[in-house]
Parts: sequence; C-alpha cells; structure tokens
Amino acid sequence: MKTHLFKLLAGLIILSFILAACGTPATEVPTTAPTKPPVIEPTVPVARPTAVPTAATISPTAVPTSAPVVVEKPSGKITLWGWSYDAMQSTGLVDDFQKEYPDIQLDIVKYSSSDTYQNLQLAISAGTGAPDVVQIENSHLAQFVDLNGLLDITDKVQPYIPLMNAYKWVDAVKDAKYYAMPWDSGPVVLYYRRDVFKAAGLSDNPNDVSAMVATWDKYLETCTTIKDKTGKNCFALSRANNDGRLYEIALWQQGLGYYDKDGKITVDSPQNVATLEELGKFWNPMVVSEEQAWTDPWYAELNSPDQSVASIVEASWMGIFLKTWIAGGTAGQWGVTEMPAFAEGQVRAANDGGSTLAISSQSQNPDAAWAFIEFMLGRENSQLRMFAYTDFLPSLETTYNDALFYEPDTFFGSENTRQIYLAVAKEIPAAYIYGPNYQLMNGYVSTAIQEYATGKSSAADALKTAADSIRAETGMP
Amino acid sequence: MNTIKLRKREAISTKTKRKEFWHEILRGRWPYTFISPFYILFLIFGAFPLVFSFILSFTSWKGTGPLIFNNFANYKLILRDKVFWQSMENGLILFFMYVPFQTLLACVLAVILNSKRVRGFKFFRTVIFMPYISSMIAAGFVFQLLFGSRNGLFNSILGLFSIPAIPWLDTMWGARVALCALIVWAWLGYNMVIILAGLQTISSELTEAAMIDGANPVQAFFLITIPLLQPVILFCVVTSTIGSFNLFGELMSLFHATGGEGPLNATITPLLSVFEQAFHNFKLGYASTQAYVYFILIFVVALLQLRLFNREID
Repeated sequence: MKTHLFKLLAGLIILSFILAACGTPATEVPTTAPTKPPVIEPTVPVARPTAVPTAATISPTAVPTSAPVVVEKPSGKITLWGWSYDAMQSTGLVDDFQKEYPDIQLDIVKYSSSDTYQNLQLAISAGTGAPDVVQIENSHLAQFVDLNGLLDITDKVQPYIPLMNAYKWVDAVKDAKYYAMPWDSGPVVLYYRRDVFKAAGLSDNPNDVSAMVATWDKYLETCTTIKDKTGKNCFALSRANNDGRLYEIALWQQGLGYYDKDGKITVDSPQNVATLEELGKFWNPMVVSEEQAWTDPWYAELNSPDQSVASIVEASWMGIFLKTWIAGGTAGQWGVTEMPAFAEGQVRAANDGGSTLAISSQSQNPDAAWAFIEFMLGRENSQLRMFAYTDFLPSLETTYNDALFYEPDTFFGSENTRQIYLAVAKEIPAAYIYGPNYQLMNGYVSTAIQEYATGKSSAADALKTAADSIRAETGMP
Repeated sequence: MNTIKLRKREAISTKTKRKEFWHEILRGRWPYTFISPFYILFLIFGAFPLVFSFILSFTSWKGTGPLIFNNFANYKLILRDKVFWQSMENGLILFFMYVPFQTLLACVLAVILNSKRVRGFKFFRTVIFMPYISSMIAAGFVFQLLFGSRNGLFNSILGLFSIPAIPWLDTMWGARVALCALIVWAWLGYNMVIILAGLQTISSELTEAAMIDGANPVQAFFLITIPLLQPVILFCVVTSTIGSFNLFGELMSLFHATGGEGPLNATITPLLSVFEQAFHNFKLGYASTQAYVYFILIFVVALLQLRLFNREID
C-alpha cells in the first residue's frame, strides 16, 4: 500500500519529465513568458522575389500525375490558418468548395499574419498542433521550409509548375522538393490620388502620370511640384521607423537584393548604397510624410478627403485594402500606373509580398488539404473570382487571357488596372531579398535605413554595419 | 581485520540511512503527495526549461532537428552583437529615466494617502492602482494617440501655446520619454500600494515625536519615514530594475508597428531581443545564449543593489 503510493508519485514525476521533454520548445528566461500582444496587423499579403527556379529544376523524369482525378473524394476535417480568408469567403468559394466536397469539414482559424507565423513555429517545434493548411507569405516561406514542418507536395504541384509565375516557386523549393502552392503575385505599381494631382495642376491621366514618374528622379520632381502647389506630401516614407519595404522594392526592380545568386551578402554593395541614397533624396527637402506604414495615421492620410498623400508605391494586393478598410471613402479618386524606374529606360516592375498555401507535415488529412488548395489556387475560376474581388493577381498564368483582365475598375476611376498589373508582373526581374534569413536581414537593414535617414550615419556606413552583423549571424560570406 | 569490520559497519550504516530515508518519505506520504503538484509543475515549467535552454545556448538549434553543438560560437557572436548590447544599454537608460522618479513619486503618494488628514483614502488608492490592472495593450494604443507626432493630444496642446510639435515617437529620446510615461502610469499604483503597506507598519508616533522636536513635515519624511521604509523601497527598486530590462507588453503595444523596437532600436530590451531571435529568426540556440548572458548580468546588478542598500541599512 505504501509502496504503491510511492510508485504512483514516482511515476507522476517521471511522466512529467517525459511530457516536458516532448512538449516544450523551451528557450527563454523561464520566469517571463512573453505574452504575444494582439498586434493588429495589417496583413500585408506577401509577394516574393524572383529567382530562377522552375520546372527545369524538377527532375524531368517525374511524370505529371493526371490532375485531380480522384477515385474517392477525400473526407474528414481540415483546419486552415491564415488572414486572407475573406477572399475565399466573400466570393462564395468556401461554399462552393463545401458543395463539391461535402464530406470535408473545413475549419477556418482567423489569425493575423504574425499570429499565424508564431503559432506555426511553435506547433512545428512542438510536433503537434499545426493546422492542415496554412497561408504563408513568400517572404517567410523559405524560413518555414527550413524548419522541416511542411509537407513535401512535389507530386501534387507537379502539373502546376509550368503554369505559375516561375519566381513564385523559388521559396517553395528545397533540394528539388516543393513545399507550397503559389497563390498570388505582388506586382508593384504606383497608386496615385487623382484629386491631388489635379489640385497641383497636373494631369490625372494614367499615361501622363506614367511619364511624370518615369524615374525616381522624375517622381521626385513631381512630388516637389505637388508639395509646392498643394502643400501635400507625396507618399509616406518614415525616417526613424522605416520598415525597409520601399527600399526592398527599389532593390528588386534592379534585380539586386540582400545577397547574390552565390549566396554572398550584398547589403553593402555600391549599388545598394546608391539605391538607398536615391530614396534619401525624398527626405531632403522633405516631400514625404513620416507616418509609419500600417498604423492608424497612415490609413487616415490615405483615406483623407483633403489631407491625403498624393500616392503610394505598393503591390497590386493593396487594391483590396484601399477599396475596403483603408480608403473605402475615396472611390473614384485613385489612379494606377507603373512605378518609377531606377534610371531612364530601366525596368518599371518589382514584386512585394504575395502568398502561398502549404500543408503541414502534421496533417492527418493531406488529401483533403490538397483538395482545398487545388480548389482555391489551382483552378482558373477560383483564382479569377478572388482576383476580381481582391486585386490579388493570380500566380496562375492560364487565367491571364480572361475577359476580367479587360474590365475597367470603378474604384480606380474606371481605369483598366488589371492590364497594368499583368504587364508589370511579366517584367519582374529575379532578385534575392526573401529567403530563410529574410526576417533577420530586413531587421538589420531597416535599422540601417533609420540611421541614414536620421543623419546618424552615411548610407554606406550604415549598410556596412548592417552587412557585417548579417554576415556574423548567418555565416554567409 | 579491523578495516573490514569498519567497512562493514559503514556499509550497514549507509544501508540503514537509505532505509531510514525511504522510511521517512513513506511516513510523510500524504504531505508529500499534497505538495507534489508544485514540484511536478516546477520540474516541467521551471527546472526543465532552465536546464534545456542552458544546453541550447551552446547549439544552433532552430526548433526542430538534432542539437548540434557549435563550439561556443553563440557566445563569441554575442560579444559582437550590437543589438543585444544596445538592448542592455536601453535597459540601463530606462532604469535611470523612470525608476528614481517613479519610486519617489510612489513614496510621496503613499505618505499623503497614509496621512490621517486625507479623506477617501480607499477611493484614491483604488484610482491610483487601477492602471496596473488595466490592459497594457489598450493603454499602449491610447498612449500612441497621446504622443502621436502630428495629431497627438500632447502636441495639439503644445500647439495651443505656439510651441512646435515634438516628434515623440520619431526620435530615440522622445520614444523613451513616451515609454517611461506609460510605465510610470501603469506601475505607479503597484509600487505605491507596496510602499503604503510598508508605511502602515511604521508607528506614527515616530514622526509625531520628530515633529514635536521641531522637524517640519519634509524633514520628517526624508529623515524618519524614508530610512524606515528602506527595505520596502529596496524591493520596489530591485523589481523595477528587473522590470526595465524585461519590458515587453509595453513595447509591443506602444511601438507595435516596429515590433517593439522603437525608432533606431531605442526601446529594444534584452527580453525583446531574445524574443526576436527565438520567434522571428528561429534561432533558439542563440536566443538561449542571450537569455543566459542577460540573466548573469541582471543577477549581478541585483546583487550589487542588495549589497549597496544593505550596507546603508547597517
């Protein structure tokens, strides 16, 4: 009796050790559990860098499995984590999916992008708790592929490899295996306020504006005119709180990045320094606003009827945000044209953000999960319906001949914006910005931009410091 | 012959000792059973992470896969890690910016509330304590609006007096001032209540006697009350010191757009740095290294504070 009790106690303790050993991804000072505050995040849909992956990297022997001819329809419960659920719900696609697959029970968990990543990281590390399907931006994808938490879906995506924008596959591939299915691409354009341009005595015709912003230097001249005539800021470019996004866009359009194709860090290369100095011209004299992107004042100045900024350089997915929660009150006041080239005659296209859907390797129901992904992202009809609603340009190239691409968009002054998105998407060069160390690199480079912008350091010195830190931490040359 | 006997005796004695030990435990089985939940939880959530993260600090573990020891590379890296040392510096700066001020203010408020002349003691105590129990996330957003550089309330008020706007959240020092305001607002009540409790253990006869001897209230406060409160104040200062290096919720709400770092890393704290390495960069090994280096440093600081104060008390 006595010994039994004792055994029980000892057993409990041993059990606790076992539980602890398999359950806790312990890392931190154990006294403080950092609770994740509900950072209200704007869910920047991501798009991704370019690169060269492609069908060629896949073993040519692989026979494309004949598409979705499934003998027995998958069934069971699947869970989705992500933030772009509205694109699938408001377009009725979720309902249609349920009609086609009545035996699949779909549970959508609405997380902001940062919550998705944090929970996914912990679930992968813990070995339990991950969803079946998860939305991951290209900027973060390679990092998760590196964690070995995503399911190898090479045989499933095989038929789609030649059909998607080639650069979208770069972050999804590791050792010739594919871990995610591209959703949308992020062609960067210039969104501008027609009312502000008119108030400054400028034309608001997209072709005229395109000529006015043909290069970053010309864009600066236009900004100066607007500032002089109307007193309004040209766009938002924070100095002390810069997040590096616009800088990354400017690097991307030149095919530059944080590293080169050999994996050598190029953060402090002369071209990168020159790019930062070019952006720096907008601070001196000050023709831009200092609001931090994705904060309330930033939304306010995009939505303001009379105190607005004149423009914003951002990817096509910005369309749905402008139309709905950021600037819903400004319908008809916006125009769309190409972004500025770095120098005369150079490329006027870059990528920012863009998402993918992946299956977690913990999924108990990978067939149902793939059925969902295939339904949403692999079908022209689904992709087009989401595109019409959100401006998420499908990565699926077979949609590009649809009539939708010739329809005018009333929010943008009845301009045919989708042709511009498409033309830009075709020009996006390969660049090396995203990757397994993107978060770390973006962090150091943002700080460098802040130091340069606030006059604490020259562009070259600030980027040199950032490059040294990145080299030390990543071990990249 | 003798030695054999001795050894035998020793063997017997350890055997009996062990027997006695188990016997003792069995006799106390019920008490031990009842206190076991704490130890079980402590082993899982306290001891295990402590030991495991120490092991991790020598590896380049990402959260999955085998532990690969990397030859002290993490400890070498941390010496050159500007962000980590900036975070230690920030903790130090923040400590000097708000801890003395907050502690003094908490003392003054506690003394006022403790005075018999103040009516509605419970009401004021509750009001001052209330921020402590309110949501830091909500408070952070409100302070963002108050300190907004362009449309913030404080700058609007300055504007009424034709004083140029101060870019609070766009400069390193402005951001720190805004952060300290938030911290003092949130933590003043907590410190005050602790000091108030200490104050109520001090007999009022002491100050009354001093007054009769000719001391004015200010002298009585600094020469009688404060010295007697020293152990309580010490507690407040030590916890605030650790708190200023451990800021997290305050940063995540007030500077949410930059992930808590603030302009030019002005407000990044060691805890936030550890968090970013672990949960943004997935470098759990290096994050553990930072946590341990940070732990050792803060441990030394706390020890120094205890020494310093205790000497004065002696």
